[in-house]
Amino acid sequence: MEFVSPEGLRLDGRRPTEMRQLRAEVGVVAKADGSASFEMGNTKVIAAVYGPREVQNKGQQMNDQALVRCEYSMANFSTGDRMRKPKGDRRSTEISLVIRQTMEACILTHLMPRSQIDIFVQVLQADGGTRSACINAATLALADAGIPMRDLVTSCSSGYLNSTPLLDLNYVEDSAGGPDVTVGILPKLDKVTLLQMDAKLPIDIFENVMQLAIEGCKAVANYIREILLENTKQLEFRRGV
Amino acid sequence: MVGLSLGEKNFIKGGIAQDIRTDGRKRLTYRPIFVETGVIPQASGSARVKMGATDVIASVKAELGKPNASHPDKGKVSIYVDCSPTAEPTFEGRGGEELSMELSTALQRCLLGGKSGAGAGIDLSSLSIVEGKVCWDIYIDGLVVSSDGNLLDALGAAIKAALSNTAVPKVQVAANASLDEQPEVDVSDEEFQQFDTTGVPVIITLTKVGRHYIVDATAEEESQMSSAVSISVNRQGRICGLTKRGGAGLDPSIILDMISVAKHVSEQLINKLDSEIAAAEACEEE
Repeated sequence: MEFVSPEGLRLDGRRPTEMRQLRAEVGVVAKADGSASFEMGNTKVIAAVYGPREVQNKGQQMNDQALVRCEYSMANFSTGDRMRKPKGDRRSTEISLVIRQTMEACILTHLMPRSQIDIFVQVLQADGGTRSACINAATLALADAGIPMRDLVTSCSSGYLNSTPLLDLNYVEDSAGGPDVTVGILPKLDKVTLLQMDAKLPIDIFENVMQLAIEGCKAVANYIREILLENTKQLEFRRGV
Repeated sequence: MVGLSLGEKNFIKGGIAQDIRTDGRKRLTYRPIFVETGVIPQASGSARVKMGATDVIASVKAELGKPNASHPDKGKVSIYVDCSPTAEPTFEGRGGEELSMELSTALQRCLLGGKSGAGAGIDLSSLSIVEGKVCWDIYIDGLVVSSDGNLLDALGAAIKAALSNTAVPKVQVAANASLDEQPEVDVSDEEFQQFDTTGVPVIITLTKVGRHYIVDATAEEESQMSSAVSISVNRQGRICGLTKRGGAGLDPSIILDMISVAKHVSEQLINKLDSEIAAAEACEEE
């Protein structure tokens, strides 16, 4: 199947190095300490952060740092075929672990000992790149909750089909069987905090594909900074400054 | 939820007794309702309803299936609610299962009628395509995104809105199918049929706090309730289902009084919902 037409257009009309449209909103779940919704094309996720709060399970309490927990769940209606089990299956458990490790690396946990930070991510619509959208949403939610972080964490995926590196794969491109590289970075510190790939890729091409994903992450970081700036201006306005 | 102090509890109960609730509403006033339809493009129909801080999404998916042997001329509808942990940290893992089951069964009771399928809010016979062989399976999925009380009413409203937004494709059956083989069904990509939602009821939950009942309780007010009765009423003013929650016993005369209050409130709610749904659909078309 042809994923990149001879004119250089993908199935949804994008160029190979073009990201899908990003849309984000902060403060969507009123009861949570911090929340955000993030859309990358047709992939929509909501993240809610509860914390720092008292540790529920005293056995897991850590005396020198905060405990970070994460749960990823997909809505029944999020995929094309209706899903039976929204959570608890192996893919969800793996993604929960990945998001937790990524966010834990950037939260300044030593500032909040003996406390717990819960990150809950809910996928409303899945069209490829759910992992990345969840990490981006979690970053915004943590910022909304006022939890101290080293840097924003942004994530984006890229692949290689029809001998072309493609940025931000959607579901059709992802299920094509080609490689899918997901990268998460700390943009200001310029460090990679998440790197996952499936299928196989020659090493020199891998470097190009990873670099493309990193560029995508930086673009997401710029967008997230704009959203947070806008949000802060709104808050100032409401305070009457 | 953070616990309430004694002073706060008295404030809530006292306010309700004097017909002024914490947010200024009267006992029988609903919070502002926002309806958005078509939020899930890949579903046959969907809606998002916000009542204050309560936020729920309902999606309707229509798939072809085989009817039950006991009801060959009727389609099948199944309702399933999921409580997302974004609404409450306690819903993490399997914590939300109990509430999900409670909400799912209450909605099924209100919308789907009895075991024989009689009196259902949704006309199941309209979902049959070929009697005994092919019918529409309607899967209604609800998701609680944010919870601030009154989940049942919000889910009922969301399901009603999602059903009005649902377009079931027109089907053509191959005429020369023999009796025992599966007939060929051609699902149209272009022609759709809107779902008929005039018979779909709304759910009104009356929460008893002290000696008075309130409508559309917030989570704080629900924590002070002695019992709650959820009544499902349709446009003709008929009761389609009844669920009582909470441990305190109720005198039968009080229940009858609650039912008449619910009927009275339902007229306003149905009108409000219909106008919100129409506005949302108009917005979506733009």
